Amino acid sequence: MFKFLKKYARQMRLVVGLGLLASVSGQVLAHGERNQEPFLRMRTVHFYDMKWNTTEVPVNGEIVVSGTFRLFPEWPGNLPPPKRVFLGNGTPGPVLARTESWIGDVPAIQSGQLELDRDYTFRSVYKARIPGNHHVHPMLNVEGAGPLLGPGNWLAITGNREDFRLPIDTIDGTHIENLETWGVGTVFKWHALWFAIALVYMLWWLRKPLLMPRFLATEAGNDDLLITRGDRMWGAAFMVGTLVIVVAGANWAEAKYPRTVPLQGGEATWEPLPKQAASVKIAVKRATYDVPGRSMKINVTLTNNGPKPVQVGEFLTAGLRFVNHDVPVAMANIDPLFPKDLIPPSGLKVGDNTPIAPGESRTMMLEATDAAWEVERLTSLINDPDNRVGALVFFFDADGNRSISTLSGPIVPFFGAGK
Amino acid sequence: MASNAHETVDIYGVKWSKWSAALSRRFDIIVAIILFLAVTAAFHLHVMLLVGDWDFWVDWKDRQYWVTLAPVITITFPAALQYVFWEKLRLPFGATFAVVCLIFGEWMNRKFGFYDWSYFPYSLVWPATYIPGAIVLDVTLMLTGNFLLTSLTGAIAYAILFYPSNWVMLAAYHLPVEVMGSLVSVADYIGYAFTRTATPEYLRFIERGTLRTFGGHSAWVASAFAGFLCMLMYIAWWYFGMLMTKVVTVPNKMKTLMGLKADPKRSVEAI
Repeated sequence: MFKFLKKYARQMRLVVGLGLLASVSGQVLAHGERNQEPFLRMRTVHFYDMKWNTTEVPVNGEIVVSGTFRLFPEWPGNLPPPKRVFLGNGTPGPVLARTESWIGDVPAIQSGQLELDRDYTFRSVYKARIPGNHHVHPMLNVEGAGPLLGPGNWLAITGNREDFRLPIDTIDGTHIENLETWGVGTVFKWHALWFAIALVYMLWWLRKPLLMPRFLATEAGNDDLLITRGDRMWGAAFMVGTLVIVVAGANWAEAKYPRTVPLQGGEATWEPLPKQAASVKIAVKRATYDVPGRSMKINVTLTNNGPKPVQVGEFLTAGLRFVNHDVPVAMANIDPLFPKDLIPPSGLKVGDNTPIAPGESRTMMLEATDAAWEVERLTSLINDPDNRVGALVFFFDADGNRSISTLSGPIVPFFGAGK
Repeated sequence: MASNAHETVDIYGVKWSKWSAALSRRFDIIVAIILFLAVTAAFHLHVMLLVGDWDFWVDWKDRQYWVTLAPVITITFPAALQYVFWEKLRLPFGATFAVVCLIFGEWMNRKFGFYDWSYFPYSLVWPATYIPGAIVLDVTLMLTGNFLLTSLTGAIAYAILFYPSNWVMLAAYHLPVEVMGSLVSVADYIGYAFTRTATPEYLRFIERGTLRTFGGHSAWVASAFAGFLCMLMYIAWWYFGMLMTKVVTVPNKMKTLMGLKADPKRSVEAI
């Protein structure tokens, strides 16, 4: 026994090691959203006021994801502007069936153009399809720039995949019970028919001696023995039969579906929300990212151009919401179903929390410290050739009114030594 | 076996020992299986790369690009195999064999890759059929015995037959539906509902240009254009099939530098 253990000790160590590794590894369920470069998440699209109507739903249940997004005014120069944009959803494949999507009050079934520095509301409605735990993001696909993901929330779908149904009625009155299986019977039968015809056609020759005998006979010039009159008749019959079946099949389809339309390739036109002048102007004096401390510190000058005193309530970037715990209205602005991992518990530290009076300019420090910078892989910002931070800052007055300003500026890394 | 070795049979005018004939049949089976798998893999890869989304998705199967691209890209392997099968073996099913391999590969891909692995429904991802055109192409070659006549007639028929032979499956997906106040086809809505995360709507290359104004029959115009291109493509790939049957070796020039005897002349010069 010991001899055996000694002999195979190396292999056994390897097996035990792999087993241990497997036992401590977590399940991989998301889809690489953290792999997007920080500039893509910080300076393109900022989603806010995000709402998920549920985080647990049975198959066929409805999921509504809604919110607002702003296209960052300092759009990265290396990305094409959002000339053709599609409102998508970041999910692991079609685990949900999308039944509706809107930007403002206009359907988003097709693509269209969006404007920078403007806000748009959106709403997507889905039907639960594949059971499991799925990470669901809103997403804007921008032509040339790729998918730009919003914050993701976990959705648990229960039940059986087989129970899923997506019915619809066509304009000519045909009721489709389930789009998942619509027309599939005809597809299977038509393919099976042609497979059978092709096999029968080929078997005529396959049943006879094939490769070497035919090759030698061809070399010997025995063509008339290789392709006989019977072979030609067989082939001609198949050609005629093929043409008859194709014409008959096409006519059958025309008769069964007399009213058809081509694929629709139009474009949508969406109107942004009315533009509201930011009541607070933000000028970034210096921004640093403390790598070992996992802390972003931004020295800003805030100028309140609005009619009422305001406080800094929230700093939002790349889907992370650093909320100022000392501003109750900002805390109340958090939807209970909003993913907790995107709300760092330490929140936003503000150098001077007293309200900024109308007309006042105040320089203060905003500090957002959390391991989320690492977890969300935003620290790779320091590797960007265009090292800038972009964010939305929410201000609240005493009546709970909110105004949103954009923050943008260069950022300097701090590695724990030197300046 | 020993007695079989001396008994002879006549196969297509050539004398064979019974033993050799039996062995050649086993050889047929082995080669057929290998060839089936090899053509399936190669042809399927070729179509995935060059027809791609038009072949994958029901909401890409339009009257213009799909109808043009699919026959032109898929006449390639049939033409090359026709050369080998016909010129070397007088077998008139090179094209049919090629597209059967292709469609088999596509269904395996749809079943295991798209449906089981990625959750896409068959209504979104069913593949087109090319078998009717391939049979006509094969029979044309058999009846004419001439690759040029086959390209002038059979290759055009291959392209022209593509749309009607697939309309049987496609028509149901072109029924009109109203979604959120917009008119779309069932195919559009299926593509919209079962989301492809990395394939947004704007990537669809469909129904562009002014061909759609051609009396509403753009599919037939596109088919005729595809027929013209198929003629050329057929000849090119017939020649490619011819090259594939030549054993080409390249002499190793380094040998003489090392004091060894030079290789014989390039066998390619004998082509």
